[in-house]
Amino acid sequence: MHNIFIIAKREYLERVRSRSFVIMTLFIPLLMFGITVVPTMLANRRSEETKRMVVVAGDRDTAEMIRSRIERQQDQQKSGDKGAAKLGQKRSLPPTNFTVEVSTNTADSERAALTAKVKDKKLDAFLWATPDAIKARKLDFVTNDVSSFIDNGVLGVAVNDALRRSALKSKGLNDDEIESSLQSVEVAPQSPLGKNAPNPQVMFIATLGMVMVMYVTVLLYGVNVMRSILEEKTSRIMEVMLSTASAKDLMAGKILGVGAVGLTQVGIWGLTAGIFSSSALVASAGLIKGVLSLKLLLYFGVFFLLGYVLYSTLCAAVGSMVNSEQEAQQMQFLVMMPMILSVIFIVNIFQHPSSPVAIFGSLFPFTAPLVMFSRIAIQPETPSWQIAASIALMIATIYGMVWLCGRIYRVGILMYGKKPNLPEIMKWIKYA
Amino acid sequence: MQTIELINVRKSYDQFVAVNNLSFSIPLGGVFGLLGPNGAGKTSTIRMMIGITAPDSGQINLFGKPFERKSLNKVGYLPEERGLYKKMKIVDQLVFLGELHGMTAANARQQAVLWCKRLEIDAWLQKKVEELSKGMQQKIQFIAALLHDPDFIIMDEPFFGLDPVNATLLKDVMLDLKKQGKTILFSTHRMDQVEKLCDSICLINKGNAVLQGDLKTIKSRYGKCNVQIEYEGNGDFLDRNPLVSAYNNYGNYVEVRLAPGADAQQLLHMVAEKSRVNKFELMEPSLEEIFINTVGKTDA
Repeated sequence: MHNIFIIAKREYLERVRSRSFVIMTLFIPLLMFGITVVPTMLANRRSEETKRMVVVAGDRDTAEMIRSRIERQQDQQKSGDKGAAKLGQKRSLPPTNFTVEVSTNTADSERAALTAKVKDKKLDAFLWATPDAIKARKLDFVTNDVSSFIDNGVLGVAVNDALRRSALKSKGLNDDEIESSLQSVEVAPQSPLGKNAPNPQVMFIATLGMVMVMYVTVLLYGVNVMRSILEEKTSRIMEVMLSTASAKDLMAGKILGVGAVGLTQVGIWGLTAGIFSSSALVASAGLIKGVLSLKLLLYFGVFFLLGYVLYSTLCAAVGSMVNSEQEAQQMQFLVMMPMILSVIFIVNIFQHPSSPVAIFGSLFPFTAPLVMFSRIAIQPETPSWQIAASIALMIATIYGMVWLCGRIYRVGILMYGKKPNLPEIMKWIKYA
Repeated sequence: MQTIELINVRKSYDQFVAVNNLSFSIPLGGVFGLLGPNGAGKTSTIRMMIGITAPDSGQINLFGKPFERKSLNKVGYLPEERGLYKKMKIVDQLVFLGELHGMTAANARQQAVLWCKRLEIDAWLQKKVEELSKGMQQKIQFIAALLHDPDFIIMDEPFFGLDPVNATLLKDVMLDLKKQGKTILFSTHRMDQVEKLCDSICLINKGNAVLQGDLKTIKSRYGKCNVQIEYEGNGDFLDRNPLVSAYNNYGNYVEVRLAPGADAQQLLHMVAEKSRVNKFELMEPSLEEIFINTVGKTDA
């Protein structure tokens, strides 16, 4: 026990003092800041650029209707949520400003001329909304930016809106009647727990965030355990260590020490995030309320620790088996596979937290950390026997893995040369 | 009480028998040589002695008790494969290893400084291992094995890669420790290097002990069967002499191996009759000769 503590202490101090720890601790929040805040800031800077497009329709009324809807849609997009909510649309990045001109010349020669203009960049785009095209329900939008999906999406909404209005108008409805019949309604998901239940969207994003933190940290520190064992193996210090401490103590000390570093780092990140977003938290306290309950944070801690111990034990065995970083990387992928699979299926599990796949995933020990935690977060009524069974199965598996990997580790750390194959590893496990 | 006692110890890896039914014991105090060629099973034996691996069968008693990890606090080990944490400061590293051997951090620090002064590397205490030369790293490794004042010191190929100055420094430290009553085990294939240091030995070959016991007794058992003669005059006495089994003549200086049972005095008389003898010396066989002799017999 004493030796485990000394080994963990060394591991912890050496790592926390290292330059790479400081860099990682600073770099990840900066990166997060970079990928979340910077694009929003850039997006909020209104695009000054104005492009020119032509709407070609069979009659002036249709063309004008399309133009007015496009301009209106652009205004609403720029003014943000207000208009978007009205149209039942999520807020997105502001689109390009189009100056819309109209034309009623539907001759093929006009189309060819406009196409040539777009090609020569004299015009940015044109919409071919002739009666034939409308009848076929397919309008060609010729543009140099075919991949600009935001612009094209906005345009689609606007054009459909315009065509519906034209159709209703031709049926003799007046503007007010058209406006009220096209008014969209919001469908608001509501948990049976009533008004106090957390906002499902905020819940979704918060859970996804926590799952990703768990995933990244377990992966990162699992690999760290493996690297550090490999390093001890290649620097040949193992034998000195083994003359005082048992292999089991070495492995346990390493896993605990590296894990403590991981907790420290996550703690620092959490605290920083808390401080920086405190103003945002105050603003959205109503939204956050009920999402980050103490109970959920507790479950996060439990599943994070169990997941970390399970995976770092496996990584310890891998680290002891291999002789080089390259060999380690191949094996590392295999070991981390269940973790990666959980992340791939996580959105599916969010949507169907009681599906057989979700239940299996939450009980299978290697996917349980991410899947069970997601289920608990998304579905507060997850049966407690399943939660208990999941934790019990994980603890039992950890116990078995510590035994198994401990035996591989004990032999592996003294083996140099070629990478062992499966029969050899089986033999190692059997050695006294 | 013996320092360590191995009774019918056996260790095999798959089909390969590394140590086969090995028994020997090392008394308290003095220098013991575990000798044999490469691959004889020396390191495998040592690893079992300090619990890195467990024997397949047989018994190991350390300090008079069946092996237990606790006893390792009184054992110092210098492995053949030297290794240290490259990125760690010397002093931190020594304190860490000392703590693992049950020392307090303060005591370990104090001893580390003392030892580094003694081996003349105290200026490097705050440096990282990777900044040190190979020779200095060797010294750190020695200190790591001796820091906790062990009663039993195991050194696997201790002189490997050392320059003569450092080898002498180490030898002096070892002799000093011997004087303090410590038990020292040298394991090496370079028998000539430890011959003069050892009190008793165990020669092993292919996992078997081929010869063991007190070094003086062993040498006397083999007798003084080599003779060095410096002479002036006729060297004919060497030819067809039943007393001589082999010789190497340098003109007026000859090395003679006596035939089994031959009396050296008889040879002296014979030489003195025909030529003038300046020097006639009976020589002990070297360990290497004894080893080759013994292994030759067991192999045949």
